[in-house]
Amino acid sequence: MRPDAELPFFFGPDGGLFGMYHAPDVPARRAVLMCAPLGQDLIRCHRIYRQLAQALAGQGLAVLRFDYHGTGDSAGETATVDWERCVADAVLAAAELRARAGVERVIAFGARLGGSIAMCAAERAGFVEAIVWDPVLDGSDYVAALDAMQAALREDAGRFTQPRSHADVAEQWLGFDTDDRLRRQLRDLAVGPATVPTMVLDSLGGAETIAWDRWIAPPGKVASIVPLTPWNDLRRLETAILSQPLIQAVSGHLRETA
Amino acid sequence: MMREEAHRFGRGRHLVGIAGVPDGTSGETGIIVLNAGLVHRIGPFRLHVELTRQLNEAGYPTLRFDLSTLGDSGATGGGLTRAQQVCADLDDAMNLLKARAGCERFVLVGLCSGAQNAHIVAATDPRVSGAVFLDGYAYRTLGYKLRHYLPRLVDPGRWARLLRRKPAVSTDRPASEPVFAVAPAPREEVIADFTGMVERGMKLYLVYSGGISNYFNHARQFRECFGRVMNHPAVTTRYVAETDHTYILTGDRARLLDGIGGWLQRNFPPAHAGRPA
Repeated sequence: MRPDAELPFFFGPDGGLFGMYHAPDVPARRAVLMCAPLGQDLIRCHRIYRQLAQALAGQGLAVLRFDYHGTGDSAGETATVDWERCVADAVLAAAELRARAGVERVIAFGARLGGSIAMCAAERAGFVEAIVWDPVLDGSDYVAALDAMQAALREDAGRFTQPRSHADVAEQWLGFDTDDRLRRQLRDLAVGPATVPTMVLDSLGGAETIAWDRWIAPPGKVASIVPLTPWNDLRRLETAILSQPLIQAVSGHLRETA
Repeated sequence: MMREEAHRFGRGRHLVGIAGVPDGTSGETGIIVLNAGLVHRIGPFRLHVELTRQLNEAGYPTLRFDLSTLGDSGATGGGLTRAQQVCADLDDAMNLLKARAGCERFVLVGLCSGAQNAHIVAATDPRVSGAVFLDGYAYRTLGYKLRHYLPRLVDPGRWARLLRRKPAVSTDRPASEPVFAVAPAPREEVIADFTGMVERGMKLYLVYSGGISNYFNHARQFRECFGRVMNHPAVTTRYVAETDHTYILTGDRARLLDGIGGWLQRNFPPAHAGRPA
């Protein structure tokens, strides 16, 4: 791989969004925007996002990974993360990707809340397709799971020598500041039926009972990924999410639909 | 608002990092933050982003970057040992910050394996004037064992629980996944390195957490591990029993950042402080 094939840069109206552009060796006809999840999932998925981006660039697709405002290397404090802004940033990133790659057809990829953001941005960003990995469709369940893990974290004997006070762990989710606004936004999140052709990659394995077929519009597709992904296992909170089957499923699908 | 720069740099243009250069700085001490374990340059829970931006506000140029093969950085394929690779990567990082902000001297900051890598470079590179080692090298001393085992030996409740315990209890904890670990180095070697660093005029700040209580459990253990060099005026130590290894709680993180910022202000006061871009 040419080192310069992966270009780090800042973009957006105030130059505050961080992006990593993966240029293919050949002129691209399609591009993939990789929408990151939020919070600790973003860190856990960094390596697999890079691996997938490299695999897709190797197939001739232009790929952009990026961080929303208040996340990763982008400007903004963690406490300022805002759902609507994340969606707007995805729209901006899609435009940036089109300009850099010189292509019109952009496919979105996203894991967990990254998948949800991709779906919410689909129309405005003009995605031709979305590939979503265990997307969060019901925000209230997701918030409840985060709250439960944060409560367990307070007295995690594997992490702290003594249980911490309730005040010590308040207004945070697993290492990240949060506030009432984001909590409300996520709690009220209900991603509607897909408006673009969608491929769902399910590695929840029934951990969350979701009727994918009622959610995705034809010609939607659901593929199971094994091994299952331990998204909500506090003991693996700082372990990277890696999945070769996931990379093969996405790259295989995009090869078939080229 | 502080504006940051994204860089691909290094002898093989294989490294990726984010430089923060406050307006008006030239020749200040540059702060370089190394990867903690396998986490990419933003650090655990974005610790490195918060740290570098806070230091930029205080007037310090900074660079958080990914070492070879970590995060977004690639490999050079030069056949170097890991230690040689780390030294070469840090050489590239220091050259970048010199080019961007005129830095001639540097402070390295590393957590866990980052502390180990910072130690390797600090021991040999004369441009390194200071280092912040977070949960770096440590050894189970006699004092550690007494503090760890004695309370357990005299705790009747613990004995009662032990006697009631059923044999062969299986747990469903996942197999050991060493995301963070400091590979051991001979203690005498580490002591000699610390001694050489302070004799060279370096300033050291060692902050150890309760998250490594399986081998470190008291402020006295700095001296138990490393001897008299820990009493040298150039060495500052801090043991924070209540916090975890990666500073998951935002209050703990804020106190750590304030501690590092205060130590830098005392030891490397910026001439152009308070001029963020």
